[in-house]
Amino acid sequence: MGDSQYSFSLTTFSPSGKLVQIEHALMAVGSGQTSLGIKAANGVVIATEKKLPSILVDETSVQKIQLMTTNIGVVYSGMGPDSRVLIRKSRKQAQQYYRLYKEAIPVTQLVRETAAVMQEFTQSGGVRPFGVSLLVAGYDDNGPQLYQVDPSGSYFSWKASAMGKNVSNAKTFLEKRYTDDMELDDAVHTAILTLKEGFEGQISGKNIEIGIIGADRKFRVLTPAEIDDYLAEVE
Amino acid sequence: MECVFGLVGKGFALIVADSSAVHSILVHKSNEDKVMVLDSHKLLGASGEGGDRVQFTEYIQKNVHLYQFRNGIPLTTAAAANFTRGELATALRKNPYFVNILLAGYDKDIGPSLYYIDYIATLHKIDKGAFGYGSYFCLSMMDRHYHTGMTVEEAVDLADKCIKEIRSRLVVAPPNFVIKIVDKDGAKEYAWRETVNM
Repeated sequence: MGDSQYSFSLTTFSPSGKLVQIEHALMAVGSGQTSLGIKAANGVVIATEKKLPSILVDETSVQKIQLMTTNIGVVYSGMGPDSRVLIRKSRKQAQQYYRLYKEAIPVTQLVRETAAVMQEFTQSGGVRPFGVSLLVAGYDDNGPQLYQVDPSGSYFSWKASAMGKNVSNAKTFLEKRYTDDMELDDAVHTAILTLKEGFEGQISGKNIEIGIIGADRKFRVLTPAEIDDYLAEVE
Repeated sequence: MECVFGLVGKGFALIVADSSAVHSILVHKSNEDKVMVLDSHKLLGASGEGGDRVQFTEYIQKNVHLYQFRNGIPLTTAAAANFTRGELATALRKNPYFVNILLAGYDKDIGPSLYYIDYIATLHKIDKGAFGYGSYFCLSMMDRHYHTGMTVEEAVDLADKCIKEIRSRLVVAPPNFVIKIVDKDGAKEYAWRETVNM
């Protein structure tokens, strides 16, 4: 990666022992649109705001929540194009795993490989860290799982988490609302309420995105109509 | 003249292999262990070209161990079988390994399983199978006497029947055999069957 003239790492230590580029990358994440994830007893839900720069943008062509495999989905906060690169790499890694073992990649291993890519970009020549944090939701033989991956390449398993602009309010809200025995439907309602907390304007199926995965192990993004149904239930 | 055969019973899988290491007309040794313990719950019985057999099976064993060290969980038998097949397939058109393999394993939620992997990377999940000239006799014996859900005693009895056929009907029959079993408690050596003491 990078020109031969830039074979030195641009991410270097400050005297205080910090990697300032990573701190800046986290700032980029922190000013991105809010996203969150909740792990229920029988599934995982991830959600994000979908605020488009203008009303002229065709919102049906934009999808922030993506599939990495049939049973693993992902949402990001931060720079959209950076997330696309990561998701593209992760999708390939998942398929390479399948080619090797003819088995679906476990969620933990895909998360670990994605995180390894992100770490690479903090220690390679001529590149910058990714300006996204990812929330990875999956369901495999170890049950429902939710992971957050940061620009530094560190990853954590969460019961519920949020990222982006409204992160502190959202996390406080989730801490109060989360229970270990939540069902997937309850988790979707809680996710919507959490997004609503910091939402500017009228929330609807067209300006938020929700992805769920249940015991059927098929990740899918809800249609705007389905989101509107959940919204109606919440009100 | 090498012979490897195996079968799946009730809650276990069994692999039998001859134990002669032959070079042209010379028998180097008659107690060569050709059934490798791949990990705690997997057996790999291999027959074929001397150097290839050991090099390839050790390579597979180390990669299986590496996966376990890296990920904290063992590979399933199916995953290990597909990995092995993949390695044979990749090498096939460059630098082929002349090794035939029977891979037996026990997985917690699946039970026992047996995989047939030949030197040109054919992969089959089977209940019973055999490699070598001995297979002509073993397969017929197993076709006659095998049924699903055999006990360990019945399966070893069938293995002994096969060994008897090989010894009496194959012109340069290997004198000694090793029997190994894998079940929920792990992979282990069950017995040797020796006519020539080494």
